Amino acid sequence: MADISSDASSTAIDVRPLARRPMLEISGVSKSFGATQVLCDVSLSVAPGEVVVVIGPSGSGKTTLLRCINLLEDYEEGTITVDGAPIGYRRRGSERIRMSERDIAAARATIGMVFQSFNLFPHMTVLRNIAAAPVRVKGAPRETAEARARELLAMVGLSDKAAEHPARLSGGQQQRVAIARALAMDPKIMLFDEVTSALDPELVGEVLAAMQQLAQGGMTMVVVTHEMSFARDIADRIVFIDGGVIVEQGKPDEILFAPRTNRVRAFLKRYNDRYRI
Amino acid sequence: MNNFNPLIHSFPYLLRGAGMTVLMAATAAIPATVLGVVLALLQVFGNRILRASVIAYLLLVRGIPLLVLLTFAYYLLPLTGIDLPPFWGVVLVIACYYAAFMSEVFRAGILSLPQAQWDAARGLGMTRPLMLKIVILPQALRLAAPPYVSLCVSLVKATSLVSIVGLWELTMASREVVERTLAPFQVFIGAGAIYFCICYALALYGRHLERRVLHGH
Amino acid sequence: MPFDLNFLARLLPALLEGAEVTVELAVLTIAICLVWGFVVALAQATRGPLGWLAGGYIQIVRNTPLLIQMYLVYFGFSMGGFGLSGFASGLLALCMQNGGYVAEIYRGGLQSVSPRQYEAGRALGMRRWTLYTTVVLPQVIARIIPPMTNQSISIIKDTSQVAAIAVMEIMKISEVWVETSANTYDVFLGAALIYLALTSAASLAGRLCERRFTFAQ
Repeated sequence: MADISSDASSTAIDVRPLARRPMLEISGVSKSFGATQVLCDVSLSVAPGEVVVVIGPSGSGKTTLLRCINLLEDYEEGTITVDGAPIGYRRRGSERIRMSERDIAAARATIGMVFQSFNLFPHMTVLRNIAAAPVRVKGAPRETAEARARELLAMVGLSDKAAEHPARLSGGQQQRVAIARALAMDPKIMLFDEVTSALDPELVGEVLAAMQQLAQGGMTMVVVTHEMSFARDIADRIVFIDGGVIVEQGKPDEILFAPRTNRVRAFLKRYNDRYRI
Repeated sequence: MNNFNPLIHSFPYLLRGAGMTVLMAATAAIPATVLGVVLALLQVFGNRILRASVIAYLLLVRGIPLLVLLTFAYYLLPLTGIDLPPFWGVVLVIACYYAAFMSEVFRAGILSLPQAQWDAARGLGMTRPLMLKIVILPQALRLAAPPYVSLCVSLVKATSLVSIVGLWELTMASREVVERTLAPFQVFIGAGAIYFCICYALALYGRHLERRVLHGH
Repeated sequence: MPFDLNFLARLLPALLEGAEVTVELAVLTIAICLVWGFVVALAQATRGPLGWLAGGYIQIVRNTPLLIQMYLVYFGFSMGGFGLSGFASGLLALCMQNGGYVAEIYRGGLQSVSPRQYEAGRALGMRRWTLYTTVVLPQVIARIIPPMTNQSISIIKDTSQVAAIAVMEIMKISEVWVETSANTYDVFLGAALIYLALTSAASLAGRLCERRFTFAQ
C-alpha cells in the first residue's frame, strides 16, 4: 500500500504525476534553539498512505521535527509541503517568505496532530471537543459536524462518552478522543507525538489499536514513539534521528534487527536493556 | 497646583500620622491573627455547633462593610456599657473583622496539606494537639503566609476608615493639613505616597514569601 | 428602645432609597471594572512602556487606601477646576482601585490556561479570534468567577466609603438617622441587614454563574 522506496532526497520542483507525489515533503529543514542546533538539514518524503515511524534518543529532535511540520515551531531554513502545498514558508526565487497567519492556519487545518498530553479542551464535552474545529474553522453546520463526531467516536470505541467532560475520562480514553478530534478535520496527514508516553501501561494498547486501525484505512501517518514493537507492526518505514540529522532509515526489520550504523545499534541496545524486549 | 510647598512643610506631621497608622495596624493584626487561627481550627476540628457558629460569624462579618461596623461600634459600645478608649475600640473592631478573612486563609492552608502528613503524624501515635503543634500548623501557616500578607496590606489600608469616626492617624492628619493649607491635591498625593511605601514594602515581603513557598524551602 | 416597629417602618424606606444609590454605584463599578480590568490586564501582558505603566498602575492603586483615592479625586480635582460630584468621584475612585484588582484576577485566569491549549487550538487550524473565543476565554471565565464574585462583594462593601464625600447611600443615610434619633440599635440593624442582603445576592449570583460556566477540572 505504501511506496517505501520514495526518494528522501528530492528537493526539486515536483513534476511527478499526482499519484506518485509525496503527501509530505520536508526538504532541508534546519532549526536551532539559541546556540543549539536541533535540526540540521533534514529532508524526508512520505508517500500517500505511508506510515513513517520516527525513533531516536530523547533530545534527538524528533518531536521538534514533528512540530515544525505544522509550524508549532518555526524553523530557519528549508521548506515543507503537504500534498504539494507549502506549509509555513514559500519560496520566491531564492527568497524564503513566511506565509500569513491566515494561510498557516488554513494549512494546519489539513494536518491532524495528536499530542503526548492529549490537550483536550477541558470546558467542552467530548462531542464538542471533536465538533468545535469543523464548525468554527471550516464553517460546517453544527448538526453535520456532530453527526460526523459521533461516527468518529464510534470508530475509537467511545460512543457512550459523547456527553462527558474530558476530566471524567481515563488517559487512554482522552487520547482516543484526541485522535477523533484531529480526524474530524479530515486531515491529509496525521502526526502523532509520543501519544502513549503519558499513559499508564495498561491503557497504551487501546490507543495503539486505534492508530493501527487508522493506518490500515490508508491514512498517511508520521509517528514519533518509543514503542518499538508497535513501530515494527505499524511502520512502512522507520526513520532514526539523532543529533538533529536522519542517521538511518529503512524497513522496520532492517532498522530494528540489522541496523547499518553503530548509533542505531547502540540506541537499540540501550533500549532493549531498559525494556527487556 | 504645581506648588508642593504645603506638602513639604506638613510632611513631618503626616509622618507622625503614618506612625499612628502603623501602630494601629500592628496592634490590630496581632489579635486578628490569633483569633483567625482559633476560628480556622474550630471550623476544621470543631463539632457541628461550633462549626455552624463560626460559619455564621464569617457570613455576618464578611457581608457587612467595615465602615458600618466601625461607625456603629463608635455609637454602640458606649451604650452597652463597655467603656473602651476609642483607640482600643477601633482596634477591637478591625481585629474581629480581619480575623474572619484570616481564618479563611488559614483554613485553606490546613486543608491543602496532603493526607499523608496527617497519616504520618497519626502513625507516630501523636495526640491531636501535638500533631497540630509540630506537624500541621507550621506547614499550614507557611502555605498561608502569602495571602496572609495581602490581608495585612488590606488591614493597613482599612485603618484609614477610622478617620471617618474621628480617630487621628495618617488620613485624619492629611485632612487636617488640607483644611489648613487648602492644597488637597498635593497633600493627598503625599499621604497616598506614604501609604504606598508601607503597603508596597509589605506586598514585596509577601511576594518574597510566595516565591519561597513555591520553591519549597 | 430597640425593635421599635414604628421607627423601623419610617427608617426602612429611607434606607432603601440609600440602597438604590449603593446598588447603582456597585453595579456601575463592577461593569466598568470588568472592561477596564481586562484592558489593564492585556496592557500589562505587553512588553515595553505600556506594560510597565499598567504594572505601576496596579501596584499604586492596590497599595493605597480607597479613601485617600476618593479624597484626591473629590477634593483634589475640584481645586484643579474640574470638580466632580460626590457620586462621580466615588465611582471614579472605586473603578480606579478595583480595576487594579480585577486586572490581577484576569491575569491569573489567563495564566491558568496552559500553552498546550493554545497549541491544540492552533494545530486544529484556529486563528487568533477563534482560538480566544472557543478555547481560551471560556476557560478564563470559568476560572475567574469565584474571585470575581468575592471582588463584587468587596465592591458592594467599599461603596459605603463614599459616605465620607457626602453621597447619600445606605451608610450616610444611617449616619444621619443615628444623629437625629436615639434608636442606634435599629438603624444599625437595618443598615447591616440591607448590606447582608446585597452581599448575599451577589454571592448567590456568583454561585449561579459558577454552575453555568464551570466544568470538572
